Amino acid sequence: MSTHTPVDPAAIARMANRKTAKAGRTVIFRIKRCDGPGKPSYWQDFKVQVPKNANVISCLQQIALSPVTTGGQPSTPVVWESGCLEEVCGSCTMVINGSVRQSCSCLIDDYAPSEGDTLTLEPMSKFPVVRDLWVDRARLFNNLKRVKAWVPIDGTYASGSGPKESPEDQETRYVLSTCMSCGCCLEACPQFNVEADESKWNTDFIGAHAISQARLFNMHETGKRLAAERLEALSGAGGVSDCGNAQNCVKVCPKRIPLTESIAAMGRAVVFHKVKQFFNR
Amino acid sequence: MTTVPASAATAAAPGFLEKHHFLLRRLHSLTGIVPIGVFLVAHLVTNSSLAWGKFGLRGEHAELGLQGGGAYYFQKEVAWINNEVPHLLLIEITLWAAIAFHSIFGVYYALQGKNNIARYSYQGNKRYALQRISGYFGILFIFYHIATLRWGWSFLVPGGTAWDHKFAVSTLATALRGGESFTAAGVAVSIFYFLGISLLVFHFANGIWTAAITWGLTISRQAQERWGYVCAALGAGLMLAAWSALIGALAISPADARKSEELFNKGKGAAIVAPAGPNTAPNIR
Ligand code: HEM
Ligand code: SF4
Ligand code: SF4
Ligand code: FES
Repeated sequence: MSTHTPVDPAAIARMANRKTAKAGRTVIFRIKRCDGPGKPSYWQDFKVQVPKNANVISCLQQIALSPVTTGGQPSTPVVWESGCLEEVCGSCTMVINGSVRQSCSCLIDDYAPSEGDTLTLEPMSKFPVVRDLWVDRARLFNNLKRVKAWVPIDGTYASGSGPKESPEDQETRYVLSTCMSCGCCLEACPQFNVEADESKWNTDFIGAHAISQARLFNMHETGKRLAAERLEALSGAGGVSDCGNAQNCVKVCPKRIPLTESIAAMGRAVVFHKVKQFFNR
Repeated sequence: MTTVPASAATAAAPGFLEKHHFLLRRLHSLTGIVPIGVFLVAHLVTNSSLAWGKFGLRGEHAELGLQGGGAYYFQKEVAWINNEVPHLLLIEITLWAAIAFHSIFGVYYALQGKNNIARYSYQGNKRYALQRISGYFGILFIFYHIATLRWGWSFLVPGGTAWDHKFAVSTLATALRGGESFTAAGVAVSIFYFLGISLLVFHFANGIWTAAITWGLTISRQAQERWGYVCAALGAGLMLAAWSALIGALAISPADARKSEELFNKGKGAAIVAPAGPNTAPNIR
């Protein structure tokens, strides 16, 4: 079975721009802003002198130093969320030129290599906006709870050392374990949509990340203890069957996690689970 | 076994759809393949004999030529279905029920998604969108097709022809042409048929590709790709069958078709008089 999904050819093509991009060129940052939860969104443009190898975050920092729009109007610094700055925490995810990705690893040279080019920044649309480019991904974590995406080791006594893991399983599991809960797979998924009503969170489509994490922990020798509960959650409303197989998730996942393989694997596991339940209960 | 009482949940009693979510989803997938998909394959292969039926006659009635021979062979197949297949009405009702179930839930499921091909124009995403568009269009087409040609709602047919299984080709040809020869409304019906059959063949071929993921048959990316080629080949073959059936039905004039049908019906010993015109077709059952 394959491990990593191939790199998107469009991303490779964009890298060619790095050779021609000139230092000090002006790039327009067209940013979708919002002053707070429930407030209306509006667009503002900012001009930035872009040095070589700049990324979106470093340009947002420049804008914060003197937040004046292209029209000369003084404004407020644009708010964003970030943590690691090396594409492992997932917090800086936003929609750049219409496609979702991490902003810290997004080089301006790739996207806007010429003088006067425009780069569009929007917050993810599937999560409520906190402010500007910062969204609240609580629902993503809620969905990980739905499938108990953890290894159960808490108890009142020491349970000793766990069973041995096979190297083959470990190899398959490794790439699944690199998920950073960024939300790209949910943003691009046509079956995952905004849901303000929290009471519906547990019956709406759970998303590719949670399906893949359920697979990860069902393959783990100790994590397996909760396998039946995870499959029960995945077979219910909003579970794996609500995936429509558009396969956008696997294309946008920055960690190149084979999400569609996880979806199919859990589809199979859920069939066995339900048939077993039909005869055993 | 209980599901996770996650923090955000308010404990509402699950409704019928939520309680039987898995079963309904899998029944939706299954009905798309059996019986609907299996019938679709049989139906299109049978109908394509309008184009190649002459060769099925093995020299019998060679005087009818390519189109007349096709009409004769097709009439023979329709007669076989109507006279020899046991429990035909039961089979039909099962099929209609399956189509109704798959369509109603298909629309319900399709409404839960939100197309985003404008932003993510990957090929897989386009197929996702087309799967839903072809479903919606398919409902219109299948309903029109069954209502006019099986239930006799001839007021929906330009020219008012009612399909008659003893004059299967001529009544079909008149319905498609909108009369003895092509009318503007008839051309519209023919284009509607072309779109309907093409989209449904895509829907089925893409459907068995996604069904293999739904049921967990193809897991690895390579397996999904391999099965994709098989589905594409099957879809191409079915498309060929569907188009040749339509071309066969459009290419023969109702008058020529009646000659073949009369010849066949005479041979069966049944004294059946051909309908004089499109509006006066006798409804013999
Ligand atoms: C000739 C008639 C039809 C055939 C042979 C057929 C066949 C199929 C098959 C095999 C699938 C794949 C199931 C899966 O992915 O597990 C499917 C899916 C689907 N069908 Fe149909 N279908 C037909 C008519 C319709 C109609 C009239 C609609 C109405 C909207 C419809 C809506 C859908 C939808 C929305 C899906 C995707 C379900 C999902 O992946 O969530 N189909 N169909
Ligand atoms: S599966 Fe990939 S896209 Fe989805 S949250 Fe994890 S890392 Fe992000
Ligand atoms: S394959 Fe399923 S989870 Fe992935 S984007 Fe498509 S519908 Fe969403
Ligand atoms: S800041 Fe952590 S992924 Fe970008």
